[in-house]
Amino acid sequence: MKKHKKNRNVAIIGIGQTHHSSHREDVNQPEMIHEAVELALKDAGIGIEDVDALVHGNMELFEMVHQPDLWHVIGTGGYGKACYRVTTGGTTGATIVGVGDNIVASGLHDIVMIIGFEKQQEGHTTGGITNMADPLWARNLQTGALTGATAAKTIKEFGEDRAKRAAMRLRVTLDKHAALNPHAHRSFGLDYDQIDDLMANSPQLVGELRLIHMCSQSDGAVAIILACEEKAKKISKKPVWIRDHVTVHREETFNMFGINENQEVTHHNAARKLFGRNGITNPREYFDVFEMYDPSSWWGLDWLREFLQLEGDEHLKMVENDEVSINGSFPLNPSGGVISTNPIGATAALRVAEAALQVRGDAGAHQIPREVKHALASGFGGTFWTVLFMLEKDLDWQEAE
Amino acid sequence: MTEEHKHCHIKEGKLALPYQYFAGRVGSKFIVSLRDKKKILGVKCEKCGKVFIPPRKTCERCFENISENWVELSNEGEVTNFTVVRTDDKHHPRKAPYVLAMIKLGGADTPITHILEGVEPDSVKIGMKVKAVFADKAVNTMLQIDRFEPVK
Amino acid sequence: MAKYFDVSVEDIFNTMEARFRVEGAKGVNAVLAYDISGDGGGKWLVEVRDDSVKVSKTDDLSGFSVKTAADAETFVGVNIGKIDGTQAFMSGKIKIEGDMALVAASAKMFTRYSLPKKSAVTVQGIFDTLLARFQPQNAAGLDIAVGYDITGDGGGQWTAVIKDGKCSLETGLRDNCAVVNIVKAKDYIDLILGKLDPMVAIGAGRLKLKGDMNIAMQLPKIFAKFEPPKEEDEQELIVIKRNISVDMKYSTGPVMGKFFEGLIEKKIFANKCPKCGRMQVPPREVCAECRCWAGDMIEVGPDGTITLIEIIYYSSPDPLTGETRETPYAQVHILLDGIGTEETFWHLLKNEDLADTQNGDRVRPVWNDKRVGSVHDIVHFKKIRD
Repeated sequence: MKKHKKNRNVAIIGIGQTHHSSHREDVNQPEMIHEAVELALKDAGIGIEDVDALVHGNMELFEMVHQPDLWHVIGTGGYGKACYRVTTGGTTGATIVGVGDNIVASGLHDIVMIIGFEKQQEGHTTGGITNMADPLWARNLQTGALTGATAAKTIKEFGEDRAKRAAMRLRVTLDKHAALNPHAHRSFGLDYDQIDDLMANSPQLVGELRLIHMCSQSDGAVAIILACEEKAKKISKKPVWIRDHVTVHREETFNMFGINENQEVTHHNAARKLFGRNGITNPREYFDVFEMYDPSSWWGLDWLREFLQLEGDEHLKMVENDEVSINGSFPLNPSGGVISTNPIGATAALRVAEAALQVRGDAGAHQIPREVKHALASGFGGTFWTVLFMLEKDLDWQEAE
Repeated sequence: MTEEHKHCHIKEGKLALPYQYFAGRVGSKFIVSLRDKKKILGVKCEKCGKVFIPPRKTCERCFENISENWVELSNEGEVTNFTVVRTDDKHHPRKAPYVLAMIKLGGADTPITHILEGVEPDSVKIGMKVKAVFADKAVNTMLQIDRFEPVK
Repeated sequence: MAKYFDVSVEDIFNTMEARFRVEGAKGVNAVLAYDISGDGGGKWLVEVRDDSVKVSKTDDLSGFSVKTAADAETFVGVNIGKIDGTQAFMSGKIKIEGDMALVAASAKMFTRYSLPKKSAVTVQGIFDTLLARFQPQNAAGLDIAVGYDITGDGGGQWTAVIKDGKCSLETGLRDNCAVVNIVKAKDYIDLILGKLDPMVAIGAGRLKLKGDMNIAMQLPKIFAKFEPPKEEDEQELIVIKRNISVDMKYSTGPVMGKFFEGLIEKKIFANKCPKCGRMQVPPREVCAECRCWAGDMIEVGPDGTITLIEIIYYSSPDPLTGETRETPYAQVHILLDGIGTEETFWHLLKNEDLADTQNGDRVRPVWNDKRVGSVHDIVHFKKIRD
């Protein structure tokens, strides 16, 4: 099988996440992080002394604390270790896993722990995001990550009723998934018979982007331990292999809103590159589960098309036919996704963590009902920035070449 | 100055955002004790024996949960190092010049940084004995200790 | 009357006038309507007029500023804090019609409904712990009966029999009590909790001691102090709130600098990529696609065509002031005349045009009289109506 060049194989050997909530007054930042770190170490069955390096990430403008990694050492266990600090917006969680993957693959470190966190309640999320825009122009106009552009585009393409219905159906499906995940921040107990009601009555934020479509603001942390092949095989009974990951970045795209709908977006570009260099011709068939960074149901719907390289209305059909539900042929976000849980600096890492739990068969109540051999996980940030991971249960893709 | 430089301008701006900070259970117990009992608490790691202030949930070296091992510290200690702040800034807690000192309290293994008053900046010495002066009002931060002063 | 969490819907509305906070309702002139369904439900109007409030039960909810509809259980639950309001709202259990902002504001206009405080400590509860509080070392050699005649609601009669360093408790009063305490139930609880001083109580006649006063004086030693049951998790958690504000100075660089100079002259400049021909507005140093020098400034617009109108219902704080804009307002992405087809210009739409403007409409900038080289040199774009 075709594969992308990697100096040595890297596996996920430990996963820990806090419970996610809208408020964690009971712990400060390093204490909350420490909960995830302890769980990840326990999951891997190793001690902090076995970890060679840490990669730490969040977005400083959300808590308004500069360089939190310095005082977080109390909770991370970073004392005396190589530490890397990464912040790339919403993508942060995926970028820290990517950095971890790279520094293990390179041979620089054997065991690396990545830590993503956010205490959204300590700051002002929308205000924080707005402050990331160009101060001379866009900052005066932006409203955080809220936009109705994708809703408008989807409605224009597929008609108002069908588009709205598909987005809300996806919302309800993911709410049902979240109900199965004990770590999830929000699950409202929505059902499909509420679709019409929610389409009409959920308050509008921007255009047809309604409150119910939009992701939560959560407090929480995740830690993932990565190891080189030699160590992973010694330490872990169920290593999950990071076969490949790709990052695609570009200039902000506010200046293209409403036009250039045929221009390739970063999600499509990233998936095309990743699948191409790994010989994946039919991603819908190849991947058993997809943990997508879905900040809103409109985006989640639209991005199915981009990531899976679909044509026409295939992505709508996948939602309409419940293919994306946990029991469907292509389960999307069995964890409930970003829409239910969003401690932003941890969010994209949670996608990788949840995908890896699915591969291990350790996801619990939200484990999909068939064996997971191949999983896809995405990160998203800015407008636009994509990180896309493919995880494997077995190292078999290397033998066939 | 080149032709291009003529078009370079400076625009005044601001970065203003509201935020809050949760001290957590351990931090809150420390602050509430300073405020209500005027007692300075630390936590002790049973493994390495170090007493930390401000208190924290975890010993960063031993990775042990130490949040239950409370130790009452002395309100007096000695200056282990200091600096004189000689510039004014709206974010500074005092008008310059003032002294920021590292103070190791009786019973603690780690020093804390705090404001030292009641002594001329030029007369501060390492090893000087100082004591905490508590704030009259509730401020709910480390400034619940308003300042340190030399022990007379 | 149906009760939920021990509270009826009527309880909430009947206490609303008493819970009104004048300082939280300054400048508010609104009618809040409530349509509560299910057992114990009904319709209420709450009229807030600056510094006064009127609550009335009604059949006619017309003329409201905002209407909240919910089932009785959800409504009570949210009001007393047993149900998360946001959760109920998001899941459709609470529906809001009209001016949403008033719902948030009403939290400031009324203090929260609190359950009538039930004293967690009862007379029975105190006697239940009496034997456990007995201190035999302080009762050596005593052979006595101590009577308690606790009168009024929640009272009762008990006799503590102390003999051979042991204590037993009987209900009812023995005739041979060495001393009998006669006190009202409420006062007795206050005495035990230390809220009422025994000497004051005796002086006021609220505590009567019949019999041997010396024995009565020994009682606090014979029985240890009653500790009221602790409420769970009383720890005060510290949260500090701050508003950081840092003065900044941003450099325009020559490209954005020329663009701002243009705005002062009521001109909008774009720059053109010599390679792919794309035009960029505001201009950037390099072409974002080809990454080559992006070429000279070309004047475009100022009129253009809307490609996307975004109506904002939720506003974020202005980074300069921390203030939030009034909603709804609209942002527009505009294809300026002469720009080609690849880059839109981002600005605001005149509020008065909000109702009848759509994608494809032609717009024109309204220039600020005072132009300094900023995004605000254009007040907004307005629809061209000729």
